[in-house]
Amino acid sequence: MIFALMTTVGLSVAALILILIRRDKLHVTHGFGWILAASGFALLGIAPTLIDRIAVKLGVAYPPTLALTVAVSVLVVKILLMDIERSRLEIRNQRLTQRIAMLQADIEEIKESVAAPISSSPPDAGATPAVQAASDEPDSQGSTANND
Amino acid sequence: MASFETSHKPDPAIGSAASPASDPGLARPAIVIPAYNEEGSVGEVIAEIREACNFPVYLVDDASDDNTVGTARRAGARVIPLATRLGAWGATQTGIRFAAERGHDCVITMDADGQHDPRHVHQLLAALRDCPADTCIGSWPQRGSASRKLAWRLLRATSGIRLEDLTSGYRAYNLRAIEVLTDWRATFLDYQDVGVLSLLRQQGITVVDVRTEMRLRQNGYSRVFHSWLIVFYYMCHTLLLGLSKRRIRSYRAPTSGAVAKS
Repeated sequence: MIFALMTTVGLSVAALILILIRRDKLHVTHGFGWILAASGFALLGIAPTLIDRIAVKLGVAYPPTLALTVAVSVLVVKILLMDIERSRLEIRNQRLTQRIAMLQADIEEIKESVAAPISSSPPDAGATPAVQAASDEPDSQGSTANND
Repeated sequence: MASFETSHKPDPAIGSAASPASDPGLARPAIVIPAYNEEGSVGEVIAEIREACNFPVYLVDDASDDNTVGTARRAGARVIPLATRLGAWGATQTGIRFAAERGHDCVITMDADGQHDPRHVHQLLAALRDCPADTCIGSWPQRGSASRKLAWRLLRATSGIRLEDLTSGYRAYNLRAIEVLTDWRATFLDYQDVGVLSLLRQQGITVVDVRTEMRLRQNGYSRVFHSWLIVFYYMCHTLLLGLSKRRIRSYRAPTSGAVAKS
């Protein structure tokens, strides 16, 4: 009974993965690993003696231990890979947040410089020397090349 | 090679670097202030900075809930508004990146709570120029309770960093240090103490510290040392980071006092 269940779970997961990829809910890169896991499940369901034979060859006295150990190891590796990926995403997210803030500061400065002829004194005229404002703003200069 | 200098200089006289701007390597300093809910103190801090020097002031607002942005703008700072909270180091790095993009070759970071006296800015710049060093930390080891000192001792022991005041946010960085700190590797860090100092050490950046006097916080509180749970998390986090970044090879003192640059 358990083997039929494993086969069903394996095949259902494989089918679900295909549907998720088809509907653009899951990236193919991630889908590949899951398909492999699902295939493993299905294989164990179809050929239940496989794990016993491998266990005997490896000298493991109680075959289910081997299956569970392999499963836990695979899960640990997968979770670790997920955390590595998450760290990478956090960095990217943080860099982008910083970039947006920097751009916003630039935009505000450009707005102020555009409005400058109207108002007599911009609020931070002293804080930001005119040299910098001129040399570091390719947009206001109409060119991407800095003079200094 | 061993270019992470941990010895601290005797106090150079304040104001001895009357014109650090004349130094070719430190021609265009900027001041970066990370701020989170500091509307009560930030105006005065910026006013004091503008009195002490004429460097541009970049205030990075770490998604404050109060009127920090408005107060800083009125006081004359250029505000870099973060959309979400990145923490003290995330905000500081934003300011350093902003300053680097604008061609500044030296960045001084200060807290927004009025703890740091802007009159020491020249002292930090003088240390950068005279040592010479790539990073100078304004330290005040006397500050802090016994538990904070114990924490520092633990952090020093695990990370192998022998600076007196690891957590001080009053620092001056030159272009070499800025290049390291604007890199994505520095974005990986959460706090500017052990993580940043280890990164600088790893990249062959020389760090010195200079004794400065600090004042009691005018407003606000330490973002780390105000709740036991946060302190516990911070200590576990920083101890692990310090241990993992610790140099495996033993420290080789620079010969004849000269600091080799890799």
